[in-house]
Parts: sequence; structure tokens; C-alpha cells
Amino acid sequence: MLNTNYKIAGVYLTAKPRQTIVALLGVTFGISMYVFMISFVTGVNEMTNKLAFTSFAHIRIYNDGPKDNTDLISEKSNETALVNLRNAKVIKYTTGIKNPAELIKLLQHQPEVTGVTPQVNVSVFFRNGGNKINGMLSGVEVDAENRLFTIADYMVSGNWNSLKTQPNGIILGVKLAKSLRVGIDDNVNVLTAEGIMKNLKVIGVFKTNMGSIDGTKAYLNINSTRQMLAKNQSYVTDLQIMVNDYKVTAPLVQRLSTVVPYNTESWQTSNQQMYAQSKLYDMVARAVSFTILLVAGFGIYNIMNMTINEKIKEIAILKAMGYSGFDITVIFLTQALVIGVLGGIIGMLIGFCLGYIVELIPFKMGALDHLPMAYHVKDYLMAFLFGLATTFIAGYMPARKAAKIDPVEIIRS
Amino acid sequence: MEKKIALKANHLVKYFNQPEPFQVLKDLSFEVKSGEFLSLTGKSGSGKSTLLYILSTMDTAYGGELTINGIKLTGKSQDQLAAFRNEHIGFVFQFHYLLPEFTALENIMLPALKLKKKSREEIKEKAYQHLKLLGIEEQALKLSGKLSGGQQQRVAIARALINDPSIIMGDEPTGNLDSKNTQVVFDIFRELSEVYGQTIITVTHDDDFAKNTDRIIEMSDGRLC
Repeated sequence: MLNTNYKIAGVYLTAKPRQTIVALLGVTFGISMYVFMISFVTGVNEMTNKLAFTSFAHIRIYNDGPKDNTDLISEKSNETALVNLRNAKVIKYTTGIKNPAELIKLLQHQPEVTGVTPQVNVSVFFRNGGNKINGMLSGVEVDAENRLFTIADYMVSGNWNSLKTQPNGIILGVKLAKSLRVGIDDNVNVLTAEGIMKNLKVIGVFKTNMGSIDGTKAYLNINSTRQMLAKNQSYVTDLQIMVNDYKVTAPLVQRLSTVVPYNTESWQTSNQQMYAQSKLYDMVARAVSFTILLVAGFGIYNIMNMTINEKIKEIAILKAMGYSGFDITVIFLTQALVIGVLGGIIGMLIGFCLGYIVELIPFKMGALDHLPMAYHVKDYLMAFLFGLATTFIAGYMPARKAAKIDPVEIIRS
Repeated sequence: MEKKIALKANHLVKYFNQPEPFQVLKDLSFEVKSGEFLSLTGKSGSGKSTLLYILSTMDTAYGGELTINGIKLTGKSQDQLAAFRNEHIGFVFQFHYLLPEFTALENIMLPALKLKKKSREEIKEKAYQHLKLLGIEEQALKLSGKLSGGQQQRVAIARALINDPSIIMGDEPTGNLDSKNTQVVFDIFRELSEVYGQTIITVTHDDDFAKNTDRIIEMSDGRLC
């Protein structure tokens, strides 16, 4: 029986090819736009994330200093006591992370962790003669740092690995080097808050295209940094952690915060603006594509309604011959779904081609030389399912209407 | 031998609410014997078409009771009635009502494909036989929309016959045909009732047509007279 219904649906679809093609184009357009927009926005997000994760990790563990003691009175005093507190000061406290080796081991045993690297970060003044610039000196383990952040790829001059062999070598951000008016083999003076001063030789310049990083950051070998600060050989201020899926950091952070006595911060918390931005891009893209799909859905609804009005006598005659309401629904729903499936497949292909072509367009800005695109099977499936759902709903309503037609009324009129 | 009762109408009552409340059928009771060739006549507005559509099971908004082949049909669901029509009732309408985008052959096959008692090949074979019987086998593969009025009506008759229904109903089946084609259709009906024992109920305006049938039920103002 179903075969016959499908056959009738097929005849109706091919009898008026122009109508069918118009409906098909609507869905095709909707799906292809959906696929294209999502590819584009995902591409942009992935690109910015990739850039961002060259300078900060997915999760960072650091010692935030002693507990906040700005309000010493309320917990100590009672109503009868008179309190006189003046000029409160923070007493000396331990900076850095205690026993980092053990902590690193613990972290490496977490299933989602893909890499951990210790850093000694210290805020310093860079000086070249009269030129003074406030910035951040990062003492790093050369190999581990590169494994996590692929910083070697962002070198404009010099060699990342020479940090290993030159204890007095420093690698500067490109804007920082420019403001200091230094280049390779020039000397730069570093001054810490504690008043330690050291002369270092510029052995490289990097460029991440993130202005705040390129203008303030410099890398030094972690051991040289410890030496400079007169700290022991296991001194660490930050642990940088990479996980397998950067979107999912919350569970790990929660687990760690119960055992690690330091601040554990995910990139989502420390870079809320960036996180919100990528979410918003995503929402806008989905909203726009969804609207397009909706319009295509209305197109199908209209065309199906028209078809049913045209075929109302034939529907009545089919019912007189003994075709049930269900058969009629199947006949017209099949037409809508064929349009949905075909439009979906063609739409995905066109969306892919569109993305591919747009990716070829040169777009030179910052670190980009062409527009970013991402191709994820998940997005394509989503688009296809959305398209199918839209056509199903748009087809079902008129099909139900057709199924409820009273044959007597039609045949007698 | 006493012939079986094909159709039994018991106290049929029907009201129209539009444009104003009006009783169309006033307590009709009658029986039709199996193999009878019956015509329903009467002036327009007498309720004969209304009666036919109730007998055909398509109109279910009536009072009283309808029994066909011993099966009580009053109170059955639309889908049950559709299945019943498919197997037991064949229709021929005034304006042939074929599906114009299908060939004559496909139109004839549609009710049988729904019934699914035979394979596609058998149905096709049978449809060809009917086309031959009605003298239009050379039109089999033409789109039905491209056939002449007389040819279309013959295709419609073939379609009504494909499932070997026990009752064939016609709503002015010759109303749109010239006298030559009217004669053809009449001869077909006559043969069906005499040779194959099928019951035929037609509404007609054509007095000559009615005169030659086995029995005439004349209606006026919702009553039999």
C-alpha cells in the first residue's frame, strides 16, 4: 500500500516540476546558508581561540597571595570592646606554589589533561637606557612551553630553542622590542619590584598578533629566572594546564579546587569577555540561519497548501475509492519530506562549496591571511535535521488538512 | 430462488443546516436485491443525490441505519468505511473524476493497489481486460487528462469494476455524455448486472435511461413515491 502512496506522491512531485523546484530551492538556500554561516562563525571562533591559547592555558593554577585581611575588625570585636586598628600591613608570605613536582604529577594523571608546564612569572620593568616599560617576564621550561603553546611558530626572528642554551638570553614580544628600540643581540635591562636588576641579551622576537601580549611579554629560561630572583630550584608561580576539550573545563576545575590549595582558574573565568564573544557569535549565526530556514518552511507550507487546493477533487476521489486519511497524509507528507531530504543534501553540498570558495578569499589582517572556515560533521548533521524538521512540520499541517477533506462536499459541489 | 438482499436502508433521515435547517430525507426505508439494476430519479432538490451519498457510505451525518451485504455500516469510523468502500463499492461520477496526471491504466489500478489482494502484475492484467471489454485498450498508456469525455467515463467505469465490487453506484454517470456513449454505458451496466450479478444503483435525470432499468425509485421532497 505504502508503495502506491509513494508512487502517487512521486507523480504529484514531477507533474508540476516548477513548483517542486521552487520549494526545493527554498530549502536548499536555507540549509546552505545555515551550513555556511555556522562554518564561518565556528572558523572565526576556532581561529581566535587558537590565537588566544598561544598566550594563556585552558586552566591556570597560581598562588593568589594571602587571604584577604582588609576587614579585621568585624570578626574579632564584640559590642563592649573598643577597637583601634591603624595602618594594617600584610606580613611576609610565601609566594609561589609549594611542592610543584608532586602537583604536576597529580595533574598529569587526570584523564582530560594533555599537558602541564610550570612557569615563574614576575612583573618587571624593561629598560634600554632611558626607555622604561612595564611588563611581564615569563620564566619557562623551553620544550614544555612550546609543546603547549607552539610559541616557536610565532617567532619572527631568532630561535625559540636557543633559550635552552643561552641562560642570559631573552625573547621579547615584537611591540615590546620596538618600544624598547632593541633588536637581536642588543641588551635589555630588567628590573624587578624587589629591586633586582639584570642585563639580558635579546635572542629572539615573537609575534602573536595579540597586542597586549606582544607589547608586554618576554620569555626567559625558567632556571635563569629562579636564579635572578634568588629562589630555589623548584620555585614555580604558575602551572599552565591544557585539556583535550577546551570547552569543557568546569568539571576538572571543580575536582582540582578541592585538593589544590591554590587558585584554579579556567580560561572561561579569566577571559569571560572572549568566552561571551564566541558564544554570541554562535547565537547570532544560529538565529540568522534559523530565520532563513523558517522562511523556507513557510515556502513549503504555502506550496503544499496550493497543491492541496489544486488537488482537492483528486483527494476526494481517492477517498471515495477507499483511500484512508492516513494514506492521504502519507501522500502529501512524502512530497514535503522528499523536498526536505533533497534540499538538505543539495544545501549541504552548496554550503560546503560556498565555505570552500570563501576560505580562498585573501583576508590579510592580524595573523589571518584568508577567512577562517571550520567543517564539522556535527554542524552539517544539525543543519540537515533542522531542515528535515522544518519541512516535516510545514508539510504535516497541510497534509492533515488534506486528510480531513470531506469527499461528499467536494464531489457534490 | 429468492435473491439475496444487497442493500437495506432503514428509516433514513437527513437534515441540512445550511443555508437554513431543512429536512432532505424523510424516513426512507427500502431494500435492493443483489444483481438488481436500479435507478433513482426525481426532480433536482428531491434528495436523490443525498440519498446516494449516504448509501455510498461517504456521507455519515444521517439518522437511521444502513446495511450492505449484511454488514451494518452505520456508526463505523471513516477509515473502516474507506476500507469497506474500497472492497465492496465501485463509483462512477458525472464528471468522471480521474486523476489527470496518471495514465488510464494507472487510474484503473489505483483502487486495487489500495486493496492489495492481488499482485501488481495480476492487477495490471485485469485492468487491461477491463479496458478491452470497454473497447479502449489502445488508450491504456495515455494520460487520462488527454482522453475524450466518453473515453474518460469508460476508464472511470473500469476503475469502479477493478475490485469486483458487489455494488456499483453512479451519480448521473451519463449526464455528460452524448446519446451514443450513453448507450454504451447503459449496455455495460446491463451486462454487469445480468452476467456478473453486480448490483447497480444510479441517480439519473435521463428518463429513457431509467425506463430500461429493472426498477425505478422515484423521489420527491425527500420521500419515495
